[in-house]
Amino acid sequence: MPLTILINIIRIAFLILLQCLVVNRMQPLDGLILPWIYIFGILMLPFETPRWLVLVIGFSVGWIMDLLSGPPGLHTSACLLLAFLQPLVQKLFSPREGYEVTQRPTVQSMGLPWYITYAAILTFFHHTWLFFLEVLRFSDFFYQLLHIIMSTAATVILMTIGQYLIYTSKNSQQ
Amino acid sequence: MRNILGLIQRFYVFLLFLVLQGFALFVLFENNNFQKAEFLTHSKDWTGKIYSWRTNLKEYWILDEINDRLSLENAILRSRLPENMLVINQDQYRPTSDTGAVQRYIYRDAHVENVTLNRESNYLMINRGSIGGLKRSMGVISNGSIVGIVSSVSDNFGVVMPILHSKFRASVRMKGSRDYGLLAWPGGSPEIADVREIPKHVPVEVGDTVITSGFSDYFPADMMVGYVESLDDQPEENFHRIKIRLSTDYRKLEYVQVIEDLYKPEQDSLLQEVQALDAINNPH
Repeated sequence: MPLTILINIIRIAFLILLQCLVVNRMQPLDGLILPWIYIFGILMLPFETPRWLVLVIGFSVGWIMDLLSGPPGLHTSACLLLAFLQPLVQKLFSPREGYEVTQRPTVQSMGLPWYITYAAILTFFHHTWLFFLEVLRFSDFFYQLLHIIMSTAATVILMTIGQYLIYTSKNSQQ
Repeated sequence: MRNILGLIQRFYVFLLFLVLQGFALFVLFENNNFQKAEFLTHSKDWTGKIYSWRTNLKEYWILDEINDRLSLENAILRSRLPENMLVINQDQYRPTSDTGAVQRYIYRDAHVENVTLNRESNYLMINRGSIGGLKRSMGVISNGSIVGIVSSVSDNFGVVMPILHSKFRASVRMKGSRDYGLLAWPGGSPEIADVREIPKHVPVEVGDTVITSGFSDYFPADMMVGYVESLDDQPEENFHRIKIRLSTDYRKLEYVQVIEDLYKPEQDSLLQEVQALDAINNPH
């Protein structure tokens, strides 16, 4: 259990640094595609994490992102929405008998279709909320929509590839 | 009472979510842009360190390019020294002594620690703060091209509002004409900006140079801004619709110079005096 906590903290810290130092510097197609991969850390929280803790973690992750890339409140708000919805989506797609203690929200543990659905829904909500909060205008509606869809796809693809890179079936228990 | 407690117990996650979300949205919408920059100020000293570390690493790989650019700029500046000038018209009066001229603008160098490019309102962080003489509203340039305006300052770091910010405005003109227009950034590509309010009678062609007019409080006259990229004039309007390619490449920005106008306090106090007089003469 302490190992799980430590691994999650390290993962979140690493992803935030990766986001700010590497991913934010890459903007394919003049910023049309903007993956926010740091939310991977929230999606990977174990199923048995209490909901209030998911919210607190979401708040903290968002706040740190705001500190690193301003304006205040933007990522905090989007991450809170994500952290609120994450257990609900998990519940929606749970097996009939519920999750087993050894299961984790990973491709290896739950299978690719489950993971893609789970990640895509949550990422879409997070990105949509984030982009509309940031832009707050509907003039370029279709451009914004394309922006959200492309970015969501990029984030989900990167997160899925990341899982294959990092996790073998042996250490997927964390 | 027990019912209320029971309700809170059942919905405490949702309540916690509402409270935190309310706080986040309050922080997001309560501040104006300058205050947002203040928020960055408080976090700057430690986020600045993280970004410095990244920049140091990155810079190591492009030292060659930076050296080239610096030596080019040195060469250009050296060639402007008075002893490198040849006097071709001896009869003409030419001021040479420096008693006739005093220093107006001071340039200080700074190093870019972090740039955002993908937002509606972007910011730039530089490694010079109030200890290094940085003040709010100073202009920032790089290799003679305008970059932005200092929007907030901490002890060791400063945040610059670049051209790539929805609130950024600067007074510009076409080289070779006196009519001035307004530089603004419409969002999207970090290389392209708009020039508005240049009247149609001013001839503008693709490739023309755009420079600062000198009417703005932040930049001296004749600083490079960019080149006309495209013209999209509408017959019913009186002004050109000009898209320009900015001469500052924000993706490669490493070193910038901050401009201090030594006569700005004097100008400001004069303006305030006039405005105070107007207020007395025309009480509403």
